[in-house]
Amino acid sequence: MRFRKFLPPPLQPGGVAGVFERMATTLTPTEAWEPLPASRWDASAAAHLLRRTGWSATPAEVARATADGLAPTLDRLFPGTPATIAKPDSVTRLREYAPEYVKQLAAANPVEKRQLQKEARERSQQALQDTGLRWLDFAAQPATAAQAKWVLFLSDVYVVSAEKVKNAALIWSHFDRIALHSLGPAPELTKAISRSPAMIEYLDLNQNRREAPNENFARELFELFLLGEGHYTERDIKESARAFTGYRQRFGEFFYAARQHDYGEKTIFGRTGHFTGDDVIALAYRQPAAGTFLPHELAKFYLTDEPLPAAQLEALGAWWSAHDYNLRALAQRFFASQLFFDQEYRANFIKSPVQLYLGLVQDLNLDVTPVPRLVLNPLRQMGQALYNPPNVRGWVGGRNWINSATLAARRRLVGALFNPLNEDKLNADEIAALNAARARGETKFSVDNAVFADLAKLDPAAAADRLLGNFLAAPVSSAFRDTVRQFLTSGAHDDASRLRQLRRTATVLMESSEYQLC
Amino acid sequence: MASSSSKPFLPSTRREFLRTAGRGIGLLAFAQYAPSFLTASTLAGAPAPEKDRPILVLVQLAGGNDGLNTLIPFEDAHYYRLRPTLGIAKDRVLRVGDTLGLHPACAPLHSLFHDGKLSIVQNVGYPNPNRSHFRSTEIWETASPSDEFLTTGWVGRYLDNACAGQPATSDPLALHISDSLPQSFVGGEEHATFGLSPGLRNFRENEENRRLLSALAHEPGDAPGGNDTFLRHTLMDALVNEQRVSAILAKDRPEVTYPTNNFASSLASVAALVAAGLPTRVYFVSLTGFDTHSNQANQHANLLTTLSEGLAAFQKDLEARKLDGQVLTMTFSEFGRRPNENESRGTDHGTAAPLFVLGSKTKGGLHGTAPSLDLAANQDMRFSTDFRAVYATALDRWLGSPSEKILGAPFAPLGFV
Repeated sequence: MRFRKFLPPPLQPGGVAGVFERMATTLTPTEAWEPLPASRWDASAAAHLLRRTGWSATPAEVARATADGLAPTLDRLFPGTPATIAKPDSVTRLREYAPEYVKQLAAANPVEKRQLQKEARERSQQALQDTGLRWLDFAAQPATAAQAKWVLFLSDVYVVSAEKVKNAALIWSHFDRIALHSLGPAPELTKAISRSPAMIEYLDLNQNRREAPNENFARELFELFLLGEGHYTERDIKESARAFTGYRQRFGEFFYAARQHDYGEKTIFGRTGHFTGDDVIALAYRQPAAGTFLPHELAKFYLTDEPLPAAQLEALGAWWSAHDYNLRALAQRFFASQLFFDQEYRANFIKSPVQLYLGLVQDLNLDVTPVPRLVLNPLRQMGQALYNPPNVRGWVGGRNWINSATLAARRRLVGALFNPLNEDKLNADEIAALNAARARGETKFSVDNAVFADLAKLDPAAAADRLLGNFLAAPVSSAFRDTVRQFLTSGAHDDASRLRQLRRTATVLMESSEYQLC
Repeated sequence: MASSSSKPFLPSTRREFLRTAGRGIGLLAFAQYAPSFLTASTLAGAPAPEKDRPILVLVQLAGGNDGLNTLIPFEDAHYYRLRPTLGIAKDRVLRVGDTLGLHPACAPLHSLFHDGKLSIVQNVGYPNPNRSHFRSTEIWETASPSDEFLTTGWVGRYLDNACAGQPATSDPLALHISDSLPQSFVGGEEHATFGLSPGLRNFRENEENRRLLSALAHEPGDAPGGNDTFLRHTLMDALVNEQRVSAILAKDRPEVTYPTNNFASSLASVAALVAAGLPTRVYFVSLTGFDTHSNQANQHANLLTTLSEGLAAFQKDLEARKLDGQVLTMTFSEFGRRPNENESRGTDHGTAAPLFVLGSKTKGGLHGTAPSLDLAANQDMRFSTDFRAVYATALDRWLGSPSEKILGAPFAPLGFV
């Protein structure tokens, strides 16, 4: 694949040029990655950490993190052993059915074949939706939110797309692999990815033959997974593609077609030998760019639209490569750092659609609605179709999330969560899914007045302050605060109308531009 | 914020804004968050956008329209060989030439063809065709070769070019009536675009809530940063445009009766917005359902009826409003379908297909050449007109923008304008 690069959109949003340019961080590269001193760990820092590593900062979680301290909190958010997600039954069945399906296809006449293919597509579609909902459920739990987001980040580097892979079992296993290796040494993750059936399909490794090497995977391995453009030559790609010959998958399991492998001598990054795919990965991790590439992606995903200064990145890169490229160590170094907590990076990052949705779920004490149409479609309309990033670069993020149509979709989502589920409009499958969820004890699919019960007891000024403090990352102006207080008071003469105004205020705050920031 | 007031809270025209400003919302306090049409014109004294500029309406036929059953080569024995059940009999086609005719569901388009208001560009596609909906749509929208990935769309690059050096404006330069932003609208620079959901006419947000949201959107924050300002600005623009557009649509009375379906009402909305004098240069509407893998005959006929009746009503409406000279409408679809029908009486993903260009200023008639159908089973047609030549024609001869710069390569224009 080849990209013609265009300049990113300018950061000036119109208006008066230059007025709001921020001061670059004044931390030296060495200070930048030192842990935040305990004296500066407070509720505001905890909220920043929770919003960036997860989706929201609810009062209970902020209180807990503040009391626990920074290091213990990071140990909890990024534990030694990653949590796993139970495989949905539909995914298991898809995998079990695969050999049978191939047999049936071979025996079928053209009409039957078409019908079989249609059924297979539907099975896969169903399994993909289940995978998405299962992941959202996992991600919505405060205990596993940070791990889920970390996997989302890594999957935005090691991109595959269900649109091309066409088999939900492969997508599930790709994410499972990422999760399994997400907190260990990065080279192990990369090796696991090179054996991921979804990746083998997505970047055409299955067509990489001794006689006709396919460079797609080798190119993206260097350009988009490990090093970045400018840190390898075309020859490195060609020779590396030969090293990855023979990587195949069947029924969602990796296998190595030894007879397809090119055992010849290869010269990669100036070294010559009979290299295998794993050797290539090891060689790539010896390049200095391997230290800075993932930290660069990390900062872009979690921290800021503007690339970090080169000196800061190099300092972190050197530290990380000296720590065996351990991903857990990188996460803990990064999220504990003075740079991460710098004022420059507070409350000014645009939430992704997934963060917006899961943040709403957590802020409003909701369960993930078990109806794919009501959850996955809004995500798509906001620009983030789960498992279908726009291309091999993944989602660009930042301001690219926002335009008039996606903002309208964000507002529609808020509106939908504040309105009771209209069960008359659900089909039989959706009703069944809803009932199954209720049987598991998940019942909160739209905003309940109970969420506002405590606030309703407060005077409007205090209630407004609590709403603003709980929901918005940034402090607001006094005029903003006054407007909200005034709205809360207007027409609120008894308990019922007070509750109504609280709900309305919360709705509008969540539609506001402030709520789009974390 | 008196909820009783029926007056829109946000100013939606410059004059209204100046009145509001006179009532005490100071321009300077407001400027950083104000919709850019206000700041740009008030601060820089920019001229009002020209009226009567040419407008392009793009109609997406999503799913891959079966070109071979849209423009039918009724004298070609290969056609009936490839389409044993789906083939349209010679005596049913609506003739547009000695050997070609439109699907019987295209009667309204057939009349337009006879009036010289419809051009048909034959066999449009591109080299090394991709048969994925997603990727091929991307190729059409970004106007890229099939082995290249572009991040910007051809309409976006047209706006980059046409608006270079002009002050930013919040008036939507491109407007889509579809659920998501068309990739074609993405430019290298930011341009005001606006999106309407196809069912927007039914969307009523609580008016009080919207007033509060509007008020909050222009309260200056304590810690303004790049993204904060950007978001306020985009939200303000969206709210202002939403209010303006809904006001226009609520007031508008079309000159003709449109069919009652989402596609026709999208076109009716476009006519209303053009009539209201919005400076929008490109509109985008979408009709979906063309992915006819099985039992195609009825579905395809219904889709072509919806398309033809909608477009004919739109053209008639524009004529009655005397706006027809200003608007050129062009269809596109990510691919055509496989020449041979499949065993489910449908057709699979294919390559090239004809497209329609509609308007009083199009030259009419057939353009380009018909595909050869001397094909083996599952073989695809080979395109004879590159889709970028169609874009080049629209850019050079209609929108008046240098196509080579926008498309990255020269394409000889066609004769439809």
